[in-house]
Amino acid sequence: MTPSSLEALIEALRCLPGVGPKSAQRMAYHLLQRDRKGAQRLGDALLHALQSIRHCQRCNTFTESDICERCASPKRDQKQLCVVETPVDMNMMEQTHAYQGLYYVLMGRISPLDGIGPRELGLDRLLARALDGVVEEVILATNYTNEGEATGHYITAMLKPHGINVTRIARGVPVGGELEYVDSGTLAQALRERRLCSP
Amino acid sequence: MQRQKVDAQPAYVLHTYPFRETSLIVEAFSRDFGRIALLARGARRPRSAVRGLLMAFQPLELSWAGKGEVLTLMKAEWQGGQPLLVGQALFCGYYLNELLIHLLPREDPHERLFERYSQMLGSLGNDPAGKVSEPELRRFEKALLQELGYGLTLNVDSAGTPVEVDAFYAYEIEQGPVRQEQGGQAVRGQTLLDLAAENFSDPRTRVEAKQLMRSLMAYYLGGAELATRKIFKELQEL
Ligand SMILES: [Zn+2]
Repeated sequence: MTPSSLEALIEALRCLPGVGPKSAQRMAYHLLQRDRKGAQRLGDALLHALQSIRHCQRCNTFTESDICERCASPKRDQKQLCVVETPVDMNMMEQTHAYQGLYYVLMGRISPLDGIGPRELGLDRLLARALDGVVEEVILATNYTNEGEATGHYITAMLKPHGINVTRIARGVPVGGELEYVDSGTLAQALRERRLCSP
Repeated sequence: MQRQKVDAQPAYVLHTYPFRETSLIVEAFSRDFGRIALLARGARRPRSAVRGLLMAFQPLELSWAGKGEVLTLMKAEWQGGQPLLVGQALFCGYYLNELLIHLLPREDPHERLFERYSQMLGSLGNDPAGKVSEPELRRFEKALLQELGYGLTLNVDSAGTPVEVDAFYAYEIEQGPVRQEQGGQAVRGQTLLDLAAENFSDPRTRVEAKQLMRSLMAYYLGGAELATRKIFKELQEL
């Protein structure tokens, strides 16, 4: 018979994505048998993170203070607010070194068929953030999926009446992309969204 | 059920659900097999060949194999020609997909409805601003009910008398139009006849036809509230 605390651990591990009963059992035995120190570290780190990590009051990303470092930085352009779906997307934008403004992280997207609408996503908080009187432009950097597009549409409809400029990052053929290797969907949309060349 | 292998079947993705760490369950509407559920193994891996392809509202050709409730997706090919949906049209697309998911039985072929759906998406994608043509939407809803065997009676009332332009009717599911003494919640005979002829030039017809379709859909959905309608309402309340 499995001791109840072991059973509880196995059950708890199953909350991880992609972990079924079998791998949960393997993980539990590994932690208890082979790596008790690692288990201790994991437990401490988990508890510590749970206690100290919260959402930034301005950009909604994970932070240990009320307002994250980026939002507090005087070097960032307060007039631009870039809306992304996840913290990972924000990191991707940062890696471009092409953007000096601030962010708002949605922590999700509108997905009507999953029952996730503006209310579930807390878009009223984005509205309040964008209407701080300083933001002039909101840049939509949501995914180019149907859900990312639906999210962008909703945010545009929400912000436009308040006189905020809403822009959307462009899509098309990737930099260094040879047409031969670009997927047809991207190429078709790039053709539809072609722009006039100026000399 | 016999093990089957289907090649290059025209289909649309209706919705996808994450499954395990890297896979997807794909609800699709195929031309010859109706609504099917496919397991797309590894579809959420960064370099998956079908990642980004299994997108709703885009014409695809799907190949699958297997038997039972969930079949395994073998291949997906992008067919093209359908602009991505934007704005209101996108939300309307979600509404259509939710209707199909709720109302179409599994593996029940509806080739004509497939054609209508494909045309409807074409019309939704054609407006660059994403405006929705209400008459087109009514025609689709009507065709959907017809295909499911819930065709509407619109020209004759419950007593077998031809519907009159100036009279008022309550639409009862089993009986069709029941003539009423007064207006109230009823629809005009004109609206019923216009809906039969699919003529939506009269603004009152458009309003009443929308209400009638809404109540019929609510009935056939068996009380299930549509998530897309709730979200669409939140959008319009802005
Ligand atoms: Zn912040």
